[in-house]
Amino acid sequence: MEVNGQLALTVLMGVFLIAVAAWLARVEDWRSYTPLAGGGTVGGTAEQYVSEEKPSGVIRWLTTVDHKDIGMLYGAYALVAFAVGGLMVVLMRIELADPSMTLISNTFYNSLLTSHGITMLFLFGTPIIAAFSNYFIPLLIGADDMAFPRINAIAFWLLPPAALLIWAGFFPIPDVIPAQTAWTMYTPLSAGVGSGNQMNAGVDLMLLGLHLSGVSATMGAINFIATIFTERNEKVSWANLDIFSWTILTQSGLILFAFPLLGSAIVMLLLDRNFGTMFFSVDGGAILWQHLFWFFGHPEVYILVLPPMGIVSLVLPRFAGRRLFGFKFVVYSTLAIGVLSFGVWAHHMFATGIDPRLRASFMAVSLAIAIPSAVKTFNWITTMWNGKIRLTTPMLFCIGFVSNFIIGGVTGVFLASIPVDLVLHDTYYVVGHFHYIVMGAIAFAGFAGLYYWFPIYTGRMYQVTLGKWHFWLSMVGTNLTFFAMILLGYGGMPRRYATYLPQFATLHQVATVGALILLVGQIIFVWNFVQSWLEGREVQDGDPWDLADDDLVTAEWTWFERKLETAVTDGGEEETELATDGGQTVDDADAESADDA
Amino acid sequence: MDEAPGLSDQYRTASPWPVFIALGIPISELGLLFGLFPLAVGGLLLFGGSVVGILKESGYVTSTIRAVTALAAIFLAFGAGLAFTDIALVTRGYAVIAAAILLVVGGVVFELFVREQRQTF
Repeated sequence: MEVNGQLALTVLMGVFLIAVAAWLARVEDWRSYTPLAGGGTVGGTAEQYVSEEKPSGVIRWLTTVDHKDIGMLYGAYALVAFAVGGLMVVLMRIELADPSMTLISNTFYNSLLTSHGITMLFLFGTPIIAAFSNYFIPLLIGADDMAFPRINAIAFWLLPPAALLIWAGFFPIPDVIPAQTAWTMYTPLSAGVGSGNQMNAGVDLMLLGLHLSGVSATMGAINFIATIFTERNEKVSWANLDIFSWTILTQSGLILFAFPLLGSAIVMLLLDRNFGTMFFSVDGGAILWQHLFWFFGHPEVYILVLPPMGIVSLVLPRFAGRRLFGFKFVVYSTLAIGVLSFGVWAHHMFATGIDPRLRASFMAVSLAIAIPSAVKTFNWITTMWNGKIRLTTPMLFCIGFVSNFIIGGVTGVFLASIPVDLVLHDTYYVVGHFHYIVMGAIAFAGFAGLYYWFPIYTGRMYQVTLGKWHFWLSMVGTNLTFFAMILLGYGGMPRRYATYLPQFATLHQVATVGALILLVGQIIFVWNFVQSWLEGREVQDGDPWDLADDDLVTAEWTWFERKLETAVTDGGEEETELATDGGQTVDDADAESADDA
Repeated sequence: MDEAPGLSDQYRTASPWPVFIALGIPISELGLLFGLFPLAVGGLLLFGGSVVGILKESGYVTSTIRAVTALAAIFLAFGAGLAFTDIALVTRGYAVIAAAILLVVGGVVFELFVREQRQTF
């Protein structure tokens, strides 16, 4: 039996490798034909012609190293992960509508809880940021592409296997169950010690997947640092580098220091689980894991929040009709947060009994990080102050970001204080606090970016009314769900449990209703996104937001405008509008006014 | 349509290798972690071959066979470390060594038969 299994696996692997080799030979040959097929070389060299050629169909997406395509892949991937993670939590919230175990088993609840966290942070959060940065950083800084386009593609393609490994426990594989370690993977539970079932291979697969996603993030970070340092257009200096690039640069620095540490800690844990090492099973092993994990884990929070802050800092002024107030100080505060974020990790461990003097220093730094965060908030508000506010959907999401960030941030300041933390530690207050940040702020900024740049990456406009429905349902749903959690925490409801005492029922039901409102909002979003992409009104103007009126056009819109112009003049793409001799499209309104004249 | 008007795109915008590098890493990791010999060997071959392919394509190496040999040497050292030291993960070590040997064999076959053929196109 054992031998047969090995044999089957060998044959399978062999066939797979031969298929890969055959496919590679075909693709390589196909590409070497391209310059010949290109024919003439008018206005350029043969090499130029090849470089602009892309394969068609699925092969294009499998082989692309173009930063815009990879950005799209990241975006699609992140939105799928967002849907998976979101549906997981909808199940959990429905279970929590009732104090006892009703819909799903407690162990399944634990599995969903673990996967929801990891999916949202590593498979949605980081990739959706990478989607924006891949697509727009090279455009914003005037680069041809990323510094290492192929590494960029490798970084993306590591993610689908990572997702499959992380979710492997949910697939019908014999003897494999989902991990139930929570996203923090605290030892000794995650080391598989004791009589529990966490020695299962499902946990190993999840750890491998997480490790892969870390490798991917690190590769991406190196690429962004190299790109922003070396590939800038000569006109883009450090002094006029845009705010989004600054936040991505800072985030990449954080990734460079944080993710390799997570990778090492995960490898140590895997060795403990499979090869009999004792990193985390000797005395102090549990606290060692917590130190290693949170040295990564807290910067991870800023890895996730800094680029969304960059998006808000970029988008919000466009609809306030003013430049970002105190641009320099927003950059300084970004850098300050980046540095301070490595000095606060032990505030997750106030209740573990670590040395009180250490705790005090971590409390001080944690409180200090409120200052640069408040500087940013102050600057966003002053940017809007007396501005010419246009409440478009991206702007609404930006304002929602600021509002939710204030609630999430202020509740965090209380948690940074040791005596308060000792009371609220491990309650729903913490869950409410960080969801105000990750859903209320990070996801909101993601939506702001998705709506703001929708015309660039689809060539079409989304449906405005549906966009507003999406915003208001998200805003109401977020605040209902997570404010109820903050109140639950004050009441002493511990986090991570599948069941609870009846006294918490009302607030839990409020949170569940909020989550369902969020679900409706996201369904509207998906509908709007897909339908508008396929059938939305085509954008004819390179400046659909009328940014030029306030002199607020940024480089990516200039690029878009030129792209539209060349598309019209060379007749390269599906033209629905008639182009006049001058290469200008004539839309109905213009035609009518011409008739009137 | 010009994808990036006004910018010079002097590099290729497609490469077949990244997907396979990204597949090779998890396959070999799974094989080595769970001690599945064929997965470990196959994954490392996929990874190693694709790394050489991408290095050649992007012009970082000129000779395929030298790049393959260098990579195989690294695998060999790693495999020997696993198999013959106190770590004593013998099967896994042999898997890595097998991958190193197969990689060199593959490199030689490519050098002798495939590359010549390709140049006639």
